Amino acid sequence: MNAATDSCASGLPGTGRRLFLRQAAGAAALWCAAGEVAGQVAQDLPTIYPSAPGPADTVYLSFGPEEADCVEAMVEHMCPRDELTPGGVDCGLAVFIDRELAGAYGHGDRLYLRGPFRPGLPEDGYQLSMTPAQYFKSGCRALDQNCQRRLGAVFARLDANAKESCLLEISTNRWDETGEFSLGAWFNELFYPLFTQACFSDPVYGGNRDKVFWRLLGYPGLPATYGRDMVTYRGRPHPAAHTPRSMQDFA
Amino acid sequence: MPHCAVVIVGGGLAAGLVARQLARDGVETVVLERGADLGPGAESRLPTQRDELRWAVRGGLMQDAAVETCTHRRSRHELARPMRRLAAFLPGTGVGGAGNHWNGQCFRWTDYNLALRTRFTGRYGPQAIPPDMPIQDWGVSYDELEPYYDLFERLFGIAGQAGNLRGELRPGGNPFEAPRQHEFPQRPLEITEAGRIFAETVAREFGHRPFPSPAANSPDPYVNPDGMRLGSCQYCGHCDRFLCEANAKGSPELLLYPWLRRQKGFTLRPHAHVLGIEHDPTVGRARGVRYLDLTTGEECFQPADVVVLAAFTLTNTRLLLLAGLGRAYDPVSGEGVVGRNFCFQANSGVPLFFRDRWLNPFLAAGASTTVIDEFNDDNFDHTGLGFLGGGYIGVGMSSGRPITARRTPPGTPRWGTAWKRANADWYAHNCAIGAQGSCYPHRENYLELDPDYTDAYGQPLVRLNFDFRENERRVSAFLVEQSLRIARAMGATIIGAAAGRSGQFDTRAYQGSHITGGTIMGGDPATSVVSPRLQHWEAENLFVVGASVFAHNGGHNPTGPVGALALRLGDDLARYLAQPGRLA
Repeated sequence: MNAATDSCASGLPGTGRRLFLRQAAGAAALWCAAGEVAGQVAQDLPTIYPSAPGPADTVYLSFGPEEADCVEAMVEHMCPRDELTPGGVDCGLAVFIDRELAGAYGHGDRLYLRGPFRPGLPEDGYQLSMTPAQYFKSGCRALDQNCQRRLGAVFARLDANAKESCLLEISTNRWDETGEFSLGAWFNELFYPLFTQACFSDPVYGGNRDKVFWRLLGYPGLPATYGRDMVTYRGRPHPAAHTPRSMQDFA
Repeated sequence: MPHCAVVIVGGGLAAGLVARQLARDGVETVVLERGADLGPGAESRLPTQRDELRWAVRGGLMQDAAVETCTHRRSRHELARPMRRLAAFLPGTGVGGAGNHWNGQCFRWTDYNLALRTRFTGRYGPQAIPPDMPIQDWGVSYDELEPYYDLFERLFGIAGQAGNLRGELRPGGNPFEAPRQHEFPQRPLEITEAGRIFAETVAREFGHRPFPSPAANSPDPYVNPDGMRLGSCQYCGHCDRFLCEANAKGSPELLLYPWLRRQKGFTLRPHAHVLGIEHDPTVGRARGVRYLDLTTGEECFQPADVVVLAAFTLTNTRLLLLAGLGRAYDPVSGEGVVGRNFCFQANSGVPLFFRDRWLNPFLAAGASTTVIDEFNDDNFDHTGLGFLGGGYIGVGMSSGRPITARRTPPGTPRWGTAWKRANADWYAHNCAIGAQGSCYPHRENYLELDPDYTDAYGQPLVRLNFDFRENERRVSAFLVEQSLRIARAMGATIIGAAAGRSGQFDTRAYQGSHITGGTIMGGDPATSVVSPRLQHWEAENLFVVGASVFAHNGGHNPTGPVGALALRLGDDLARYLAQPGRLA
């Protein structure tokens, strides 16, 4: 389970669209990445979510190219294009994470960062001196280094099966070694919450594009004034469940 | 600053109620609140009020941990770690405090809670209470508090159904409640679909008597005795952690402070961070409080005849420890008072999935909860059970907010198409049976000042010495067992994994914001910080109010007793000002 994808090595453009654009634009994209395999798998499915006009021209504010490749590959794998949603990049999941890290959250808003710093149990919560943005980037690097060492390629260049095993293993702390950066803690306490926030936040933050995840759930969104609906639709499907409205619809 | 009659530290629910009583006599009262004035901004307007990420996930209305947090260790033999993010419980900040972002569950506690030691030793014998469980009587009776409970319910427009009206049991209400003089001022909230399934099941299968949680979510437009208005609850699912957009949640920023500002003699100073209490130990009096005016950076002194601490649990305790007012609790000797009897709550839950029922979790008020009290506190016989206490069990649908209120059945992958599919399949079809369990004091659960960590102003943080002890683990296991029994009878397609308090205290998981104790009330200065009149034993013009005075934490939400105690304190202070001295 250490095969990098051949298609990537051969330079075929895949659905890692923004990486492709970066390459086409002559950016120093060192690693080939994201989505080729997810795209091929998706093509075999009976119905595919129509590819929305994605944020192809989005400029990342926090990520460098390698971090972007890593994150795009993760969100494409964790949110593959299928009959339910577009792929994670087109859902805006990478943009969401980038914007959170570039903003107040990423810079340690509401986070106590005074010493002394003492490692703790998982139950003690975050005990590092790094900001979330610094921690996030350390994790991307550690993930790629570990993937390279264990599987022969950085995360973005692994095939879908290898990506799946990698995420299963890091999320169950199986790659954690004493005294080393804990990919398990990084994934479970930082990456995964950002991933689900990217999926289910109001689209104004860049994720959940076109309210796709709200429609998936049947969450009607705003304005959520249910004084009457509370009785009318108690125990019955809500008529707006699949036509949600978000903050932008009320701007 | 010019001298005032009463200075109150903290501008939340308790402070607003104390000030409300004083304002009727025109007493010059100054409230110092560290946070901003809330209400007219993005936090209460559409569409920004409905922003789950900003308010619920990032905690936009909560105490800023970067400025001030607390530290925690499970035992005094460990090194403490700061809670670098506040997550397990959520103190508020800003005018109205945590009373703005609550869900609005507003119970009266069962009467015997106020004399719990007497109750347990009377019912189970003198050896019933383990030696490491310093349960004690509060020194106040339910009858004394009843008029204040009543007033609080009318001021906040509480919706509910009486279970015991002047001694007569009423169907549909809580049969275990102590006699109330009046019906609730408002009809109960609409019941949720999940609540309906729960209520029908427990009544039919087990003969339990379900009732609607008393709620500070207004089912109809309401005008309170001060002429302050509530709108109708919109069942929007954005209550807990949010300010109400519909002006329908009983909250201080809506019902108390706008009224107070119109009263002669009342002054509210937001952005005033209190640094310390000035006092003269030789005469046993507080002189006033020092605070930082955050808008100018100046340190100020507010002299006063009476000082009231009405901040959140941890802050009340911290200010007394910083001032050296009262002897700090020592867990080794069991002596000392400030910091003792710190309690949390032992909550548990069981997720349920109903393939064919539309539960629509987004149709919910903060307190649209249907509960039973059969297994709460000492409402059942504990003989041979090996623990004391209990909790209410119910279905609390309060939100379908998509980031945090989703549930998927056990075995669902955490990402990928199957994960998405499970979210789509079960979002509208799940609920949870929740149990809010009591937490009794333990000799080793206490608060003190941390020797290593300081806040942004250079003052020591509070250190929590806390873990769930054997009693609370057993309470939780018992409540999980009862919840599972009910779950099986409810006909769910899938019953998820029960979450009880079996492991060690986890600072990452939100477990309710009901932390209590540290400055407890009682009849004996050797075991309490304030008297039954909330008067400090060592400084007669210093008073403390809030959940920090609770001698233990029961199986109901704490706001009801906080409200009643604060209103009574307001009346007591009027008496004290007229005739200073030790209040009997």
